[in-house]
Amino acid sequence: MTEISPEELNTVSKYIHEITGIRLDQSKTYLIETRLESLLEEYDCVSYDELQYKARADLTKSLQRKIINRITTNETLFFRDAGPFELLQHKIVPDLIDLRTVNSSGLFSVPIRIWSAACSTGQEIYSIAVVLKELLPDIEGYNIRLLGTDISDEAIAKASYGKYNKFEIERGLSRYRLNKYFTPHGDMWKIKDEIRAMVSFKKFNLMHPLMGLGKFDIVFCRNVAIYFGLEDRKKLFDKIAKVLEPDGYLIIGSTESLTGVHPGFEPKRHLRSIFYQLKRPIHEQSQDPGR
Amino acid sequence: MNNLKILAVDDDPSTLSLLEKKLKKEGYEIETAGNGADAVRLISKYRFDVVLTDLMMPGGPDGIAVLEAAKERHGNTEVILITGYASVDNAVEAMKKGASDYLQKPINLEELFLRLEKICNLKTLVRDASDLREAMDVTEATASETIQELEIQVAMLQEKLQRIREVILK
Repeated sequence: MTEISPEELNTVSKYIHEITGIRLDQSKTYLIETRLESLLEEYDCVSYDELQYKARADLTKSLQRKIINRITTNETLFFRDAGPFELLQHKIVPDLIDLRTVNSSGLFSVPIRIWSAACSTGQEIYSIAVVLKELLPDIEGYNIRLLGTDISDEAIAKASYGKYNKFEIERGLSRYRLNKYFTPHGDMWKIKDEIRAMVSFKKFNLMHPLMGLGKFDIVFCRNVAIYFGLEDRKKLFDKIAKVLEPDGYLIIGSTESLTGVHPGFEPKRHLRSIFYQLKRPIHEQSQDPGR
Repeated sequence: MNNLKILAVDDDPSTLSLLEKKLKKEGYEIETAGNGADAVRLISKYRFDVVLTDLMMPGGPDGIAVLEAAKERHGNTEVILITGYASVDNAVEAMKKGASDYLQKPINLEELFLRLEKICNLKTLVRDASDLREAMDVTEATASETIQELEIQVAMLQEKLQRIREVILK
């Protein structure tokens, strides 16, 4: 295996940070070596430094895409960690519908717009779609928009195709849901059209400005910011705060914290789970006798 | 570590007894069936890691039926097909149905052992990965409880601090 020198680690991790926001320190040397080594051969490079140089020089960005596909971690499951989905089902969606129904004139269908900010191969946003389908028998009456974005085009392509192997569906999905929402294709399982049609996917780099994505009522941004440094985390949640409706909901990974990262969000507890909402400006809070 | 439980199926008694003898010698746990019907019965009764079956068996369930029964009973069972020279196309068809490999007659035992070793390694890897995931889940669940508790506490303290600040400023 071609080893990476300390100097190289600097230039290579700087490049990876530039294109993905992911911060890799010395302890992650093995990650670069195991995930990028085959690219050295493919691109005829003697060192990682040369690979990085070639990637920068490649105007087609095809090498950059390959590096992104390999360096990003796609660990994801259907219904990974039951908490957020129970939260969605029992608290967030019912509350949102109540609130929006009261405020609407009844002329337009109530919007429910959800963004899975690093959807990887789609399991999270499809799980969300399943929850909505099961929760809302009159689902056609709502204006539902589910968006999954990811920096990796390979992940997005797979998410969009919606086909999973037995290891990917084995955990998290109950037999009942597997049979109800998937059709077997040989050794694989494909998500049914009714669920697939609820979701759209788009390649998107969270380091870039969040333009053109629209506004959201609920944002899932779980286990993404953990790969970023503090500054990039702050910027990311700042951007999320701007695309979230003032009464919207943010869900982060169950082991993540926004303390010291973003003062604009406040954590709220429902049963055993936490979600975040934007703090209201002070003058609004003091007029509310309920607090 | 040859701890795989194998079912060998062949309508030719001499092939079957040879397989049984050799695989036992290698340390595998082995059951045999002389026809498809017996194989399907055994599959419904026990859980095998590997089913090694002849593709062509006259009368009753053939290799494909055995494959389907094995896959239906337990998706993680690996099926290796044994085929005559003329039925390679059928074997490829069978692989599309979930067979993991095929061997041509006459069986090269070295080749068979290699395939089995591969399956063994793969099963070990899968088990390791699932152990790791389990460990990760437990760690994550414990950590998340602590973190979420702290997160709420900090938010409450911050709010108190804010109120104190307001009182002092007034």
